[in-house]
Amino acid sequence: MGEVILTMKEIDKSFPGVHALDHVSFEVKKGEVHALMGENGAGKSTLMKVLTGIYKKDSGTITYEGKEIEFHNTREAQDAGIVIVHQELNMLGHLTVAQNIFIGREFKKGIVIDDKKMNEEAKKLFDRLHIDIDPAETMSNLTVGKQQMCEIAKAISHEAKVIIFDEPSAALTEAEIEELFKIIRDLRKQQLGIVYISHRMDEIKVITDRVTVMRDGTYVGTLITEECTKDDIINMMVGRVIYEDPKEHSMVAPNAPVVLKVEHLNAGKMVQDVSFELRKGEILGFSGLMGAGRTETARAIFGADPKESGDIYINGKKVEINSPEDAVKCGIGYLSEDRKRYGIVVQKTVAENSTMATLEKYMKGLFIDKKKERKVTEEYVKSLATKTPSVDQLVVNLSGGNQQKVVIAKWLVRDCDILIFDEPTRGIDVGAKNEIYKLMNKLAEEGKSIIMISSEMTEILRMSDRIVIMCEGRKTGEVSIEEASQEAIMNMATREIS
Amino acid sequence: MKKRVLATLMSVSLVAALLVGCGDSGSKPASSSTDSASTDSASTDSASTDSSADTTASSGDSSSAATGGDYTFEIIVKSYQSSYWQAAVTGVNQKAEELGVKVSCTGPNAESDIADQVNMLNNAINNAPNGIGLAACDQEACLDALQTAMDKGIPVVCFDSGIPSAPAGSVYATIATDNYAAGATAAENLYPALKDKIASAGAPVRIGEVNQEATSESITSRGLGFIDKFIELATADGKSVAVIGNEYYVNNCKDKGDEASADIIIEVAVPAQTTVELCATEASVILNKADTIGMFGSNQVAAEGILTANENLDVLGTDPATSILAAGFDAGSVIKGAITSGKMFGAVTQSPLAMGQTTVEVLTKIANGESVSDVPTQGYWYDSTNMDDSSIAPNLYD
Amino acid sequence: MGKSNASNKSMISRLGGQKFIVLLVVIGLIIFFSAISPDFRKYTTFMSILDYSYYIALMAIGVTFPLITGGVDLSIGTGLICYSLTGGYLIVQKGWPVGAGMAVALLLSIAIGLLNGVLVAIMNLPPFLATLCTCMITRGLGSIFSKGFGISWPTSGTPGSWFRSIFKITVNGTKIPLGFLWVVLLVILMAFVLNHTKIGRYTIAIGSNKEATILSGINVKFYHIMAYVISGFFAGLAAIAYSAVFSTVQPGTGAGFELEAIGGAIIGGVSASGGVGSVEGSLIGVFVICLLKTGLPYIGLQANWQQIITGLVLIGAVLIDIMKKKKEQA
Repeated sequence: MGEVILTMKEIDKSFPGVHALDHVSFEVKKGEVHALMGENGAGKSTLMKVLTGIYKKDSGTITYEGKEIEFHNTREAQDAGIVIVHQELNMLGHLTVAQNIFIGREFKKGIVIDDKKMNEEAKKLFDRLHIDIDPAETMSNLTVGKQQMCEIAKAISHEAKVIIFDEPSAALTEAEIEELFKIIRDLRKQQLGIVYISHRMDEIKVITDRVTVMRDGTYVGTLITEECTKDDIINMMVGRVIYEDPKEHSMVAPNAPVVLKVEHLNAGKMVQDVSFELRKGEILGFSGLMGAGRTETARAIFGADPKESGDIYINGKKVEINSPEDAVKCGIGYLSEDRKRYGIVVQKTVAENSTMATLEKYMKGLFIDKKKERKVTEEYVKSLATKTPSVDQLVVNLSGGNQQKVVIAKWLVRDCDILIFDEPTRGIDVGAKNEIYKLMNKLAEEGKSIIMISSEMTEILRMSDRIVIMCEGRKTGEVSIEEASQEAIMNMATREIS
Repeated sequence: MKKRVLATLMSVSLVAALLVGCGDSGSKPASSSTDSASTDSASTDSASTDSSADTTASSGDSSSAATGGDYTFEIIVKSYQSSYWQAAVTGVNQKAEELGVKVSCTGPNAESDIADQVNMLNNAINNAPNGIGLAACDQEACLDALQTAMDKGIPVVCFDSGIPSAPAGSVYATIATDNYAAGATAAENLYPALKDKIASAGAPVRIGEVNQEATSESITSRGLGFIDKFIELATADGKSVAVIGNEYYVNNCKDKGDEASADIIIEVAVPAQTTVELCATEASVILNKADTIGMFGSNQVAAEGILTANENLDVLGTDPATSILAAGFDAGSVIKGAITSGKMFGAVTQSPLAMGQTTVEVLTKIANGESVSDVPTQGYWYDSTNMDDSSIAPNLYD
Repeated sequence: MGKSNASNKSMISRLGGQKFIVLLVVIGLIIFFSAISPDFRKYTTFMSILDYSYYIALMAIGVTFPLITGGVDLSIGTGLICYSLTGGYLIVQKGWPVGAGMAVALLLSIAIGLLNGVLVAIMNLPPFLATLCTCMITRGLGSIFSKGFGISWPTSGTPGSWFRSIFKITVNGTKIPLGFLWVVLLVILMAFVLNHTKIGRYTIAIGSNKEATILSGINVKFYHIMAYVISGFFAGLAAIAYSAVFSTVQPGTGAGFELEAIGGAIIGGVSASGGVGSVEGSLIGVFVICLLKTGLPYIGLQANWQQIITGLVLIGAVLIDIMKKKKEQA
């Protein structure tokens, strides 16, 4: 670690009604990876937006390379050497890799863009990062991991001195994360200052040198990563102790009836001959790596994607599910991994979202019975402990965890007995995660059956009564919670299929 | 992504719908939609083929119109600045002078200024004239004003375009072109020129007709008027005629005949859309056929389509021995130019001049307490020999 | 390396693929119509097809740009008529030189393009809505400028008709479709602009991912506007082509022209959802439409059937686009 390259001091920023940053300080040294942590809404993104000129700070100072500076837009920050690698990849799928990297500062001969030179320069960059990507390849043909590499290469090509990674690993496979870390270590060696924003505790321990924790727009503290434990960080983040212990025993009665039976389900490459059973009151974990085919299996069962063959039995009776409509009639609810795209309509109110799947229940002739809608929604807001000022609040204004609760309410209102939770806590902060877990346990106790797809091992081990493991579209194992261990599951999730 | 595709598709269909909605607004000055005119096919014979007449259509001689005392009439045209309407105003003023009545002519700047015209109509009503002559820009916009006029006992005469939904009793008469007769006028003038060629032909010959569409009353009447008259004339000379092509015209003409045995085949083409270009394509198809000897385009767009097709084909002329003879409808600088240069044999024009004259005459009659009825005005044939006549030239707008 | 090369090739074949298929369709249509109708085989018919294709081809070149940004320009059809009426009015009624009338038509087309661009890029109106509004506006403007009457630009043989020979000249009695040369040159020029200049690059970028383009520090508003200005300008060029080939321009018409241009572009491989497309593909696609329009009457098909078949071809092209997209996502 070298000298300090960037210091943010006493940064203060208010939005109407919200004190987003309350005198926050933060610094980055050359050649360090500095984690910035905090629950959603803690102010990490706002802080970085102030740094890169997207927001204007109310007070405080930013010192960069010994000079006090203030950027007015990302372009200025880029030019000075501060770049963000965004969580959502900002890639232009129809352009080539090189065209993406040099977008906005193309090499030109007169008014003609010199694509040849751009390809050469991109190649040089990749060589420097030890990445093997063809600069002339169209971006959309690359895997998400490779796209991320390109994003990093683009950042570096700006002669970056400080790179901010905003949840870079969210969409990556284990192997890709490894490669990412290799690059980050490389950059560290080249004396760049790196800010690493992530929710994944394991990664923080592996890759970062220091951790700064924020909570509710305030600075909590900075720790040397080596000298602290996971629990230390979590405690700083939530201000309370959270236990992440695995479940010891299955909570399901041994004689609980099978409510859902799937036999030899086939749906494309990602779902090959999948069979399993789900019992009443059970939480069945679906574990595996990204792209193992878990979501695809869920979507095929739910009728969202066409299936090629296979039978589905509900309470012992064979059913035909060809569309989500059929599935809902069979009492299956599906909570998508991508809430914003599939789960909720963010510009509608909590009440409207909650009753969306069951609107016919609230019809008075041609009109929606708003009173009844409100009443039922209020019940669920209460029982799920959804934090919303009122049921008339727009969902877009809720936090991720509370949005997830609205989605859950939607399916509970529908009286679904089988709930498929696909990555129920993705992008949700630790405190809210806990509440979702509690809620799922409560639902199971009440006799609902749950399929939980999760990529987080701790979540799988903590919640599941039984675990199905998938790999490359096939079911590669099934273990009860008593037998389950992280190593055993990982082993089955990565098993080569001959 | 899908949403955007959907949006695009929707937009395409929506605009397609819009298109259908406004498809038949093709040739503005030509289209006159009166229901009274075309049904009155009896007046066909009275249409004069020789265009020297400056009489005012078939409404009778001017002597029968009583010379009025101090009558004042308000005349409102569709647009005051175009030559077509200037011709109508000229007709109005001529007749007013002749009958010794006072007229006051107004009209909006453009035919699209509907609101302006309604204002003018209301002002006219407030002036309490002895009668109002109206060429309405919009069939719906004037209805309230017409009611007011009726309540105040001011008689209204519509010219050029009728108002079918006018309150009963408010419009005393409608003076508009008899499209069926006008179409027949084209046949009456085209047939004699082709008569010898038909008589001497060894094989069947073909007459083409391009109609911009098969839905509006004015266009279909002209098309059928031409076909029926042509059949009548040819049959009189002992020739058999068959009509082929667009179903509407084939099924609604007087006798569709038998294509296999006919001496003359009338082929009717209607383009998929009312554009010059598609009219031209349809015209090309017929002009390309070796047995084609004559063509008729039933409005300005269709006639110009025939001329556009000829740009590349070069088969039109005025000599039946060496070229195809084409008859058009309406005027415009293109058709006038083609007639002058001998590309087009001749065309039928409507007569705003006559309509203007008749309007004043009918208004005077009403003021005198005489009973009146709708007056169909006829179309006038013009070709290179009579285009500059004082009775024709004012009708030929650019 | 080897793997990415392979997928690179498939990308090329996919893009070039549709163009190639459509070119085959064009050739197939020519053979088909020629086989059925002897008249179709004539040089004069060939001349007519080209004559009537210029204005659609020019509009298609221009509208390719907004389409690639993921938008659309519905104002080009009525715009064309509006520009032509305005220019023609000044020439015929006001006695302006033809060149000056043309310049005014082109300036007006750029102004309307600019208006579309501002509505879409700065006021954030959906392109469909914004250009539908300007479609109506131009239709009204055209009627006002022409006082509701048709206008004929100077007809052949009259002084001032020199502009008609821009598109067609007669050499030793043979008519030469000069306009086709200009269309091809403009296609080459605009294909170059699309693929090798900033305007083109950012047009594709906006259609790929507008947010990301903004975050790349690009003046997206400017380039987004430029796409509509290009579309407007080419509608202006199309207006001149239309005035030169056809005799009288009727106010109130023009709605529907844009659909042929947009349809042609989509048949030629422009994605209805943006990001993908080529100018040369749009041109080839336009010829499918023009061949259908000319050829179907020649084989004796009645009006309504012509429209049905053209519609079916368009559905086919859009379906290909959607299936391509699905394949890409799979």
